[in-house]
Amino acid sequence: MSLRAALTLIIFFAAFFSPRPLLAGESNDGQKTDAPEYARALANYDTPDVAVIRQDGKKLSFGKELDDGRPVILNFVFVSCSAICPMLSHLFSKVQTKLAKDGQKAHMVSISIDPENDTPAKLAEYAKKFGAGSDWNFYTGTREVSIAIQKAFNAYRGDKMNHTSIILMRAKPGKPWLRVEGFLSPDAVAREYHTMLQQP
Amino acid sequence: MDPQSTSFPDTQRQSSWLLSSRRLLCFWLVTLALVARAEPPVASSEDVELGRRIYMEGILPSGEPLKGKRQEAVQVEGAEAACETCHRRSGMGSLEGNIVITPITGRFLFATDENRPLALVDPRAPKNLTRAHTPYTEESLAKVIREGIDVSDRTLSPLMPQYALSDVEIKAVLAYLRQLSSEVSPGVGDETLHFATIVAPDVDPKQREAMVDMMRTAFAQRNASQKVYSGRMRMPIDLIPRTLRNWKLTVWELQGAQETWGTQLAENYQREPVFAVISGLSNTTWAPVHSFCQQEKLPCLFPSVTLPPAETAFYPLYYSRGVALEADVLAKHLRDQGKNTPRRLLQVYRDNKVGRGASLALTEAMKGSEIQVENRVLYGDEPIELKAALKGLSSKDAVMLWLRPADLSAVNKAAPKQLPAVTYVSGFLAADNYDFVPKTWKSHVRVVYPYELGAKRQKNVAAMKEWLKTWQLPLVDEAFQTEVFFNLLFLTDLTSQILDNLYRDYLVERAEDMLSLDSNVSAYPHLSLARGQRFASKGAYIARFAPDGNLVADSEWIVP
Ligand code: HEC
Repeated sequence: MSLRAALTLIIFFAAFFSPRPLLAGESNDGQKTDAPEYARALANYDTPDVAVIRQDGKKLSFGKELDDGRPVILNFVFVSCSAICPMLSHLFSKVQTKLAKDGQKAHMVSISIDPENDTPAKLAEYAKKFGAGSDWNFYTGTREVSIAIQKAFNAYRGDKMNHTSIILMRAKPGKPWLRVEGFLSPDAVAREYHTMLQQP
Repeated sequence: MDPQSTSFPDTQRQSSWLLSSRRLLCFWLVTLALVARAEPPVASSEDVELGRRIYMEGILPSGEPLKGKRQEAVQVEGAEAACETCHRRSGMGSLEGNIVITPITGRFLFATDENRPLALVDPRAPKNLTRAHTPYTEESLAKVIREGIDVSDRTLSPLMPQYALSDVEIKAVLAYLRQLSSEVSPGVGDETLHFATIVAPDVDPKQREAMVDMMRTAFAQRNASQKVYSGRMRMPIDLIPRTLRNWKLTVWELQGAQETWGTQLAENYQREPVFAVISGLSNTTWAPVHSFCQQEKLPCLFPSVTLPPAETAFYPLYYSRGVALEADVLAKHLRDQGKNTPRRLLQVYRDNKVGRGASLALTEAMKGSEIQVENRVLYGDEPIELKAALKGLSSKDAVMLWLRPADLSAVNKAAPKQLPAVTYVSGFLAADNYDFVPKTWKSHVRVVYPYELGAKRQKNVAAMKEWLKTWQLPLVDEAFQTEVFFNLLFLTDLTSQILDNLYRDYLVERAEDMLSLDSNVSAYPHLSLARGQRFASKGAYIARFAPDGNLVADSEWIVP
């Protein structure tokens, strides 16, 4: 094949071509039909030693932020995400209230997966919108840092639109992480959290 | 309706004029609806407007905020509950994570086997199409909105809130959905998909030619490949309706004063409505084009301009904020200098749109810092003018040159043999012309550089260079040409994604969602958008000259 033809093909067909025969309405992969439920698993993740920037503009060590002694509840969000993220953030907001009522001091951590857009100022505004108190922080950083953190928690899916609702919790440094994936109610998160703390 | 009062508003009759003009609008909507679609019962335009408020703004007819609840998770309210946040302006839906947000326009909800439209639901899985379902009725639609149980009795993903809408409100939403994206946008002919590109006056003819030639070549190439392709119609995938229309490119050349551009654009558009404007070129302002795009609801994708309007809008998308971005990057860099912070920042610029815009942006960005900003406007073309602009420099100063190559080439004649102050150059304006920098200065010159550097840059731009060679097109300005090249590839991707759903809103939404997916063939390190974002590249490096003369990064990628 000539170079010209090859280029034509690569450039203009790459997005099109699928060898699999397909008829209208046949495919249904990827469409979620399940009733509300979530998956949980325990896992060990190495916290990457990277510099993050908190919503107040402070440059901090991510490792130290996670290892300050408090239990951690962590998720991934971005400000421009209109469908899933508001739901996740409302959920965190409700969880925050619940834990406060129970006298719990957990560190709630929301990592931006669109760090170049989500400047500290934008995150601060977002935090305010969801009523984040002093125990709930938002972090941004360079693109590489955000990707490193997502990868460390096996939450990197290549691009931000491909992002799913994951919550990670850890009772203290050295303990495994509890990973819950799917749609949870604030009650369910609080329940998982309390169960986790009671583990020896 | 009283036509007199609509054409001659005056202060006394303001309120009646407002009222009747609303009625006039209603009249047009009804007429349009009648022309467009004879079959389903035509909803009143009031219903459509009430539906629009629910759909777009999350406001109920009562003025109360729309409220949605979710079984397991949390409630939403007002703008956040608006259908648009998920199903988007076009009603064509989107994808978040692994959750498909289905298209809910009338065409999709009420489709039967005879007229079923198709859409791709996942840009990452080109085979994943919307599913067929029995047509919704008003009743089943009410049920899915209120209870989250669809026409096939399936419980929807908990992401979709449940809305306790009244019958009247359901009717309004229904009326809105019926007319939403019901007709293809202007610029879509039976055989032809019309595009334009826009060239402002006073651009470098070489740049203009490079852009237009690249675009014409790519369009011809694309049309030729479509012919091959449609003759092949053997695979089942070929049966998916997608736009096999020929792409046609028109070049809109603007002339004269910018106040007249709007009229010129309107005339061009009248002559040949286009589906979208692709690329474009201006060395001065872009504001009239920007306004025109928004006003005509015309996607204007990624022009090569140095100073896009700061106010964003839905339809115009840009590579970056241009020199305003550089100003913010430089300000951040200077503020972070610690003990090396200069005492004074001297900025030299031409008294034109871009020069003023850039200097204003920098002045604004430096506000509140200890560095004193001093403006020096460059007049005339004699080296002596530049000398005057640069006089009185000391090592406590920093200089920013908002100058293009024509002016930069005079710099070494105008400035001292040894440069006393660190001197920054705008990467956008210098356009990779650094011959003006004498050897003795190299250590003092920095470039605010909005593109990728080094091996990564070479890798990104290799595809374009290869393509230019293949089609025997000249390489005039690498960074600029990759903007055009990227845009053409991206357009190909976009159109192959939207299939035959040729709605402009949908095109913009796809662009928002897909940009980060694309492998990067531009000179920028990475490009990414999301809902509401309008500038794809968000930072710049501070670069210096390595001993071998090449530009290398002297800072991290700075995102202000
Ligand atoms: C937070 C996101 C979100 C909002 C807001 C939202 N939807 Fe949905 N909607 C979805 C998702 C996700 C689905 C697909 C669920 C599934 O297939 O399981 C859906 C499905 C639907 C369906 C079913 C379509 C079909 O093909 O069966 C209709 C109808 C619908 N939505 C209407 C609305 C209306 C009307 C509004 C506003 C009043 C609205 N939605 C607001 C997320 C949302």
